[in-house]
Amino acid sequence: MVEKFREDSLDLEEYISHNIKSSKPKGLLKCVQCGMCTSVCPAAQHSNYNPRSMVECVLEGDTAVIEDEDIWYCFYCYTCHSICPADNSPCEVNQVLRQIAVDKGIADDHLIPFLGFGDSFLNHGIGGIPENFFPEMKEDIGDDWWDFKTHLDDVRNHLGLDPVFPSEEAIVEVSTILKSCGFEDRINKIRNHHKDED
Amino acid sequence: MDHKVGVFICHCGGNISDVLDIEKIKESIGDVDVIEEYENLCSINGSKIIRDKIINENLDRVVIAACSPESHEKTFQEYVKPLNPYLMDMVNLREQCSWVHSQTSDSFNQKATDKAVNLINASIEKLKVSEAVDPILIQTTESAAVIGGGIAGMSAALSLAKQGIHVYLIEETPSIGGHMAKIGKVFSPVKIAEECGLCLLNPVLNEVVWNDNIEILTSSKLIKAERRAGSFNLLVEKKPRYVDTDKCISCGDCVEVCSQEIPNDWNDNLSYRKAIYKSFSQCYPDTYVIDIDNCDQCGDCKRTCRMNAISFRQESEMIPLEVGSVIVSTGHKLFNPDLRPEYGYSRYDDVITQSELGRILGVNGPTKGKLQCLSNGKVPKRVVMIQCVGSRDIKPDGHKYCSKVCCMVALKNANIIKHKYPDTDIVLCYTDIRTPGMFEKYFKHAQSDGVRLMRGRPGEVVKKDGNLIVRVEDTLTRKFKEIKSDMVVLSTAIEPSEGTKEVAKILNVSQTEDAFIKEPSPKIKPVMTDVRGVFVAGTAQNPKDITDSILQATASASKVSELINDGIDIEPFIATVDNELCDLCEECVKICKYKAASVKDEEIYIDPMTCSGCGKCIAVCPNNAVQINGNIEDKISATIKGILKGKKPGERRIIAFLDDVGYTSADNIGVNRLTYPESIHIIKVISVNRVLPKHIIYALENGADGIFIGEYPGDVMYDEVENKIDKIKGEISDNNIDPERLTFSKVYIPYFTGLARKFTEFDNRIAEIDELAK
Repeated sequence: MVEKFREDSLDLEEYISHNIKSSKPKGLLKCVQCGMCTSVCPAAQHSNYNPRSMVECVLEGDTAVIEDEDIWYCFYCYTCHSICPADNSPCEVNQVLRQIAVDKGIADDHLIPFLGFGDSFLNHGIGGIPENFFPEMKEDIGDDWWDFKTHLDDVRNHLGLDPVFPSEEAIVEVSTILKSCGFEDRINKIRNHHKDED
Repeated sequence: MDHKVGVFICHCGGNISDVLDIEKIKESIGDVDVIEEYENLCSINGSKIIRDKIINENLDRVVIAACSPESHEKTFQEYVKPLNPYLMDMVNLREQCSWVHSQTSDSFNQKATDKAVNLINASIEKLKVSEAVDPILIQTTESAAVIGGGIAGMSAALSLAKQGIHVYLIEETPSIGGHMAKIGKVFSPVKIAEECGLCLLNPVLNEVVWNDNIEILTSSKLIKAERRAGSFNLLVEKKPRYVDTDKCISCGDCVEVCSQEIPNDWNDNLSYRKAIYKSFSQCYPDTYVIDIDNCDQCGDCKRTCRMNAISFRQESEMIPLEVGSVIVSTGHKLFNPDLRPEYGYSRYDDVITQSELGRILGVNGPTKGKLQCLSNGKVPKRVVMIQCVGSRDIKPDGHKYCSKVCCMVALKNANIIKHKYPDTDIVLCYTDIRTPGMFEKYFKHAQSDGVRLMRGRPGEVVKKDGNLIVRVEDTLTRKFKEIKSDMVVLSTAIEPSEGTKEVAKILNVSQTEDAFIKEPSPKIKPVMTDVRGVFVAGTAQNPKDITDSILQATASASKVSELINDGIDIEPFIATVDNELCDLCEECVKICKYKAASVKDEEIYIDPMTCSGCGKCIAVCPNNAVQINGNIEDKISATIKGILKGKKPGERRIIAFLDDVGYTSADNIGVNRLTYPESIHIIKVISVNRVLPKHIIYALENGADGIFIGEYPGDVMYDEVENKIDKIKGEISDNNIDPERLTFSKVYIPYFTGLARKFTEFDNRIAEIDELAK
């Protein structure tokens, strides 16, 4: 069967190009589908995620890619970004696609692993690696890292720097802002919804 | 005196008339005797219209409002004959008006139309003060230098020599032959079979050697070049060979006793040679040479030589040459694969380049033509080739262009392997296969030979369990693959050689953004450069194959011949000295940065090719004996007056004075269809130095909102002009004008995007100043 040719194929591309945060000239339209991104993508080696084919969908205006579960396997190592010979950035395209999915409310489940980052803002006033990652990281990186991490304020003090975490006052201020703008509610909603499903 | 002025407006087949309202232009321009419009003024019919009007209406000043003078000034100077060529002036309505000020849907661009009127008025005013001057014709010396002794240089030299022109063929290495000598087999446009490169090269090489009109200078390098009248004075340094070419009989006894082992660059360092060596057996001169940097001067070779040909006392020789033309055929080098570390070129022995594979497959190569892995000497069971290494690659150190020949090179080497080793599997990983024209047949041949093609650009080469692994997505089947391979061959990009870059600097020839030699118009002047009398051939100009290099070489030889037979026309706007007034104080000789002035036979001699007409000498001459032909200062004043004519309240007019480089750069903005505000009105000046404070102040006082001065930093007057700007700003302030209305900027031909941006920024700045002034 002949497939219908999309007349408005560049709509999705345009939306993404205008939302990409890359400071470099955009290469999305210059993609020649060489597949170099996929060949270096660690996620592609262990899942069905394929950055080239994701970009292909975007260029063809195939909005089904927004609902594609595979786009959530990218973990932003930026290797595709640094290697693309056409100056495209598949991982940043991915970020915009995910944002569209989040905005449509179809990606809450995928946000669960990221909630820790939100907690960090709420509880410490700054972004940081969520605490629930620490045990695994300690195992992966080693005791030296943990030692450095736990004594970071001493090191900073020695260098004449302020502590990593802002003052209690500042933390309260940030968290007040986050609460009144609905950030905390949003996080709780996602978390509770997830628990309910369990 | 009243002049009869005719204005001819060209539609340029819609290029101009689609954007500019020609009717309105005709109504709005000042009082002239004839206004004509035509679809294509540069056509034969156009020439008839112009000539008839000049004769019938007795016109003595002609404005051609059409394209850039860079494209058609010569044409129209011819068309206005018998009128003096400098009583015709071109208004650049295409590159600097219709192409930079876009068409508003359906209707004409009114602002651009207004600007066109201003530009035509400027030209009319300028012509009213113009005087007839005769172009200077210079005859060139009947000799040429060809720099670079590869296939392009040899072909050019031969063609020139056969036309009776004396040629110096200057080659940096100890032998002529270039890349073609070491390629091994070569592909050909119509044959499926690969031919022996050296067998095709040898007859050419022999002819070059035997031709009495060709003087070959090997181990020689261009050090200095000076343009003088109809000739170039070149200085060539000839390095010593330490072996007397007249005595050496090439017996090779010296090599036997030499104890030094040095990587052999002719074999891409895949084998070793001695410190006394011959690049390849068919080289010319067919004698040995000592690589002095790697020689310990033990003297063993000298003692062994029965011809007494070796002497360590030879020294470098400086050879001055006087030639009429120069052909640059300095060739290319290959992209350094270490700049793409993901392919592991330095990490793994069996990751090699196509050039190295060429040496391995060559019968005169390190393995005598036997295909083997460098790590273990075994015939590879599988070879993976990776295309576009450093080509079509926007990442740092990569090249945006396609290197043009690598698809054919890879297919050629793949076919050679398939013919000799049918059991070796070959996978060619490509982004696009580019085998245009007849080469497509060769591509099909490779397919039928069983060469496997994989559409995908590999991301990395790694080693797993002792095997090379190429990671690639087969983009046609959408499958991610890890291909086990014994050998990986990288098709590296072609880039300009160091020699190409050096020679371009010495000869003052412009380069492209990729550092190749640049032609003034790659479309219709494909072997010329922006220096008259310097031509380009081969890969010094861009990536190309042997056939194209020979084509371009013979074309450039024809161009040299044209110059010799037809001479060079030079713009006459140069300094002249009144010998009655001159007392030979030589102040002008001392001040001239172009070194155009010298003393010859007790008189000041101004070299017409070197003088830029900058006018520096006028200021220092105590006796007012120097003049510049063609009353340029008056013409600048008149042009300003014309541009500012009929300025309406609230309208913004900015005058941009640009030198040759700036003007070409501004043309490029149009050619590339970028835009800048309609307020920018460009005036071309021979030298920015000729724009005087009085011009700037006159313009600002008479309605110009801003003055933009653009000069190429390579111009020897640049520093001087830059220093002068501050002084002029002071003078502007003294006249109660905001000095910020004057700006000075560097201009470059390739950075036209930057110039367009600067125009826009300056326009915004002036708008702000105007706002404040209110």
